[in-house]
Amino acid sequence: MRDIGRGLGEPGTYARETIRQMRNIGVDSLPLAAIVAAFIGAVTAFQTRYQLFGGVQLSVVGLISRQSIILELGPLLTGLVLTGRVGARITAELGTMRVTEQIDALETLAYDPIAYLVVPRLIAAVVMVPILTILANAIGVGTAFLTAIVATDVSSAAFSEGLRLAFAPFQIVYSIIKATIFGAAIAFFCSYEGYTTTAGAEGVGRSTAQAVVITSVAILVLDALTALLLAPYLQA
Amino acid sequence: MKKRDDVLVGIVMAVAIVVVILGSLWLARGGLSKGYPLYAKFPWSAGLKQGQPVLLGGVNVGYVDEVDLRPDGTVLSTFRVGKQYKVPIGTTATVVANGIFGDMAIALTPKAPNAQSIPPGDTVPVGPSAPGIAQLTSKADSVATAVNAITLALNKELVTNGGAADLRRSLASSNALILNMNRLVSQFSTIAAEQNRQLSLTQASLRRATSGIDSAKIDSTLVNFRQTSANMATLSADFKQTSAKLDSILAKANSGTGSIGLALNDPGAYNDIRQVIQHMDSIMVDLKKNPKKYINLRIF
Repeated sequence: MRDIGRGLGEPGTYARETIRQMRNIGVDSLPLAAIVAAFIGAVTAFQTRYQLFGGVQLSVVGLISRQSIILELGPLLTGLVLTGRVGARITAELGTMRVTEQIDALETLAYDPIAYLVVPRLIAAVVMVPILTILANAIGVGTAFLTAIVATDVSSAAFSEGLRLAFAPFQIVYSIIKATIFGAAIAFFCSYEGYTTTAGAEGVGRSTAQAVVITSVAILVLDALTALLLAPYLQA
Repeated sequence: MKKRDDVLVGIVMAVAIVVVILGSLWLARGGLSKGYPLYAKFPWSAGLKQGQPVLLGGVNVGYVDEVDLRPDGTVLSTFRVGKQYKVPIGTTATVVANGIFGDMAIALTPKAPNAQSIPPGDTVPVGPSAPGIAQLTSKADSVATAVNAITLALNKELVTNGGAADLRRSLASSNALILNMNRLVSQFSTIAAEQNRQLSLTQASLRRATSGIDSAKIDSTLVNFRQTSANMATLSADFKQTSAKLDSILAKANSGTGSIGLALNDPGAYNDIRQVIQHMDSIMVDLKKNPKKYINLRIF
């Protein structure tokens, strides 16, 4: 953490690399995040409709879809998907650099490897995971809307009414806060595992698997903690 | 390659920012249109929040822009109404529950149709507030207290003071009374049935008697009656004429005119008649004494 703090003080070292990492982490992950969000939105709307017992207003489908996607499924599933796609990549890259002594070479050339390798990935993840989450939320809600009106008896007016019911802007802020925390967790844990890889190619594989597991569990734990800390403000 | 990364990252970030802004605006207030501001000062806002809907006659016409608790304890609510909607003068604003999830809304209720509308920036008068859960609970509590007091009073009267036993005795007496009434009613029913039967028989007899009358005979009788009546009328008229004639005769007799009048009223004629009668008497006496003087009867 201290090394990261020191690395942040050298923007000249990580600025260019940060843009490249943002492309890798954010733009290249967009199709995967979109596909996941689309299916999650569709399934949420479909299942919500058929969980309702008779007499309940159908606008509830819109309300539950919005709350489920924005508050929980959007940030959580985007975080878990990116753990597999981005986190594993970060660990594998840094681990390979470590076992092939490229990091040692950077240190020899007086480059700060943290500032050059870890900080750009951390910044890129912290910025791009919320961006992906916002887009995933929008895609998820959109597919939920389409699924509800095409595949169920929920009308577009009823879904829209539910979608806007009891909405507070903090719900979107809550989703972005979660996504930022998950992005930081992905970059931090995966970079750490890759940076501390030992024992050659086998070590890289082990570190990668370990990074994915640790980050996934960390995301679930952080999700619960965030909900505990911030959920009361959702009603404000 | 570097430049391409910059552009792609920028596009994705821009799209995300636009999506989050437009999405929030649409979810919070239904679109980009801001509308014109109106104000309402509520004594109790019931948890009204920014972004909640404004309903005019039940139609969503705007959203709550700001909720401000003022130092005097009132809640100044700024809400925006779409430019295409007009709020009629006389409209009142109330905070009402919107749906079953605790969401609130400002309800604008026009008192009567009015072509004139409240100008932008004006304050809408506040109407009577709908009872909240706390008020309803308080009402329910007072009702429960009253029910409890009634229950205690009933317990005292019915159980402690033996009211229940009295009630039971009263019910038993009522039961016996009802049984007697039932018997009486059954007797009345029997009598009524008998009366009904008798009436039916009478009706049947009447019907038979009525059917036995020959209407042709009745008609001929009536015709006879009518003729008799006409004859009687003629007779009466004849009587009247006769009576009139007799009256005139009597009047003449009384007045002494004519033969009868003279005979009746002239003393000379009376005396003549008396003398005639006396002569007749003396003749009759002489006849009795000397019949052969007067009667010389020879047979063959």
